[in-house]
Amino acid sequence: MRNVLRLVWFDLKPDLKPPVWIFAEWTIFLIQVGIYAAIISQLVTGVDNYRQFLAVGLVIMITFDMASHTGRHFVEHAHEGRLPYLLSLPVSRSKLFLSIALQGGAELALMLVVPLTVTLVLIGNLTWISVLACVLTLFWLGFGVAGLMLGLSFIAFKSSDLYTAIVTGLSAIIIRFSTVLYPFIFLPAQYASAAAFSPLTYGSDLVRLILGFDPSILLNPAYAVGVLAALSVSTLSLGLFLAQRLVEGVKSA
Amino acid sequence: MSEIHVIFALARNDFSYFFRTKWLMAILLSLNLSDMLVVALVYKGMMSIDYFAYFVPAVIIMGLFAASLDTGRRIWLAIREGMIQYELSLPVSTEGLVLAYLLAGGAAALVYASSLMIIALIVLPAQSILSALMLLPFLFVLAMGLAGIAATMAAIASTHGEFFFAFQNILQGTLLTLSTVYYPIEFVQNVLPPFLVTIVAANPLSLAAEAIRQYTFAGLPVEPIFLGKIFLASIPFALIGAIAYLWALRKIQVEGKL
Repeated sequence: MRNVLRLVWFDLKPDLKPPVWIFAEWTIFLIQVGIYAAIISQLVTGVDNYRQFLAVGLVIMITFDMASHTGRHFVEHAHEGRLPYLLSLPVSRSKLFLSIALQGGAELALMLVVPLTVTLVLIGNLTWISVLACVLTLFWLGFGVAGLMLGLSFIAFKSSDLYTAIVTGLSAIIIRFSTVLYPFIFLPAQYASAAAFSPLTYGSDLVRLILGFDPSILLNPAYAVGVLAALSVSTLSLGLFLAQRLVEGVKSA
Repeated sequence: MSEIHVIFALARNDFSYFFRTKWLMAILLSLNLSDMLVVALVYKGMMSIDYFAYFVPAVIIMGLFAASLDTGRRIWLAIREGMIQYELSLPVSTEGLVLAYLLAGGAAALVYASSLMIIALIVLPAQSILSALMLLPFLFVLAMGLAGIAATMAAIASTHGEFFFAFQNILQGTLLTLSTVYYPIEFVQNVLPPFLVTIVAANPLSLAAEAIRQYTFAGLPVEPIFLGKIFLASIPFALIGAIAYLWALRKIQVEGKL
């Protein structure tokens, strides 16, 4: 375990000296919730307290960004020659992948600490159980998305440019075609069917349900739990399978 | 080759680099088109105003802003990769080099925003396409001003990429939030203190978005004073950016690095 932790710290250290990205993410979140959400919620008539609704959506977006960053990080490491070095260390493959997952989790925790605290304070009237369930759901979603990005990494071994273009383009679309910014009932029929395939739809609605939002504007939580479980298990397994086959002898484009 | 030719050759090179960056095009197009065709449409059903008509013109300005800011990334990349040393060795003055980057930034952003404008004209009925054409030179000046902001950030961040991208994200978020791109000024007045409302009203992004809404899509006659305001609000940014980038280049010339 000491080796795993050492690897986690090895990867985490550059992000913390100085932690510019973390402060930037917190600042942007505070501007969005403090100004943007406060003003736009005055225009919204279809949702009670849209500011709280949007704050949860923004937390989901950070989770998604961080998780996809973890997946992309892996590909960048392969591309930049860092992965061959890591593979040459006297550490088993499973420990190496565990360290990547833990590093993603640690980064996500650092990024979320302020946004999630502000969101929970804004919503108020919460129990420890709901807070804990919310945190666990966010990490669960994060692992699923990171697995998805790892699964897509096989494209990067053909062309890293194409991978970056697909992943970044896909990220914006996955967020827009989901319930991160608006409830499912307001989506036009043709968009609703696309949103039903977005993992963020289920993640955000499940977190909102846990935090006490009106269930009538959310999706059935049973579906959400099922989809998130299927997503994290399938994408992480696929990602591990593809990565194990592709990284040996790294043929990065 | 006269200096003006070298400036245009450099500007053309930088201009084409913007459109050749696949991942950037993927980000910009997916963000702006999904904002226009998904977010605006869904919000329309949830809001007290016709948000589609309000937000679609604003997406053009958001695209212009994002594309202008990419000038900073290209400058930062040129500094980090040492490309700047080669460019400084060309038969062009330092001022000419700065001008080339600002021209390329402004032109790339204008071409990108024009493509968004065409899509906006398809999805939202316009009252005056002539007004849209009249606005283009002012949008070009605005784009140069915004490219100037990006150049300032690139010069300040030097070779520290993480600082540059963090500054860029914070600045982009702040300038867009403190504008009327997303919401009408009446709603801003209900939430923000008067001094911030003044900043929101004077923000060149607010002015440009309002100009497109009023003159192109609502069909109101173009007011030269309003266009003058866009010009005046944009010029200081372009000047500050040019001076900051010039300072950075001079430092590289003297010390070999930033």
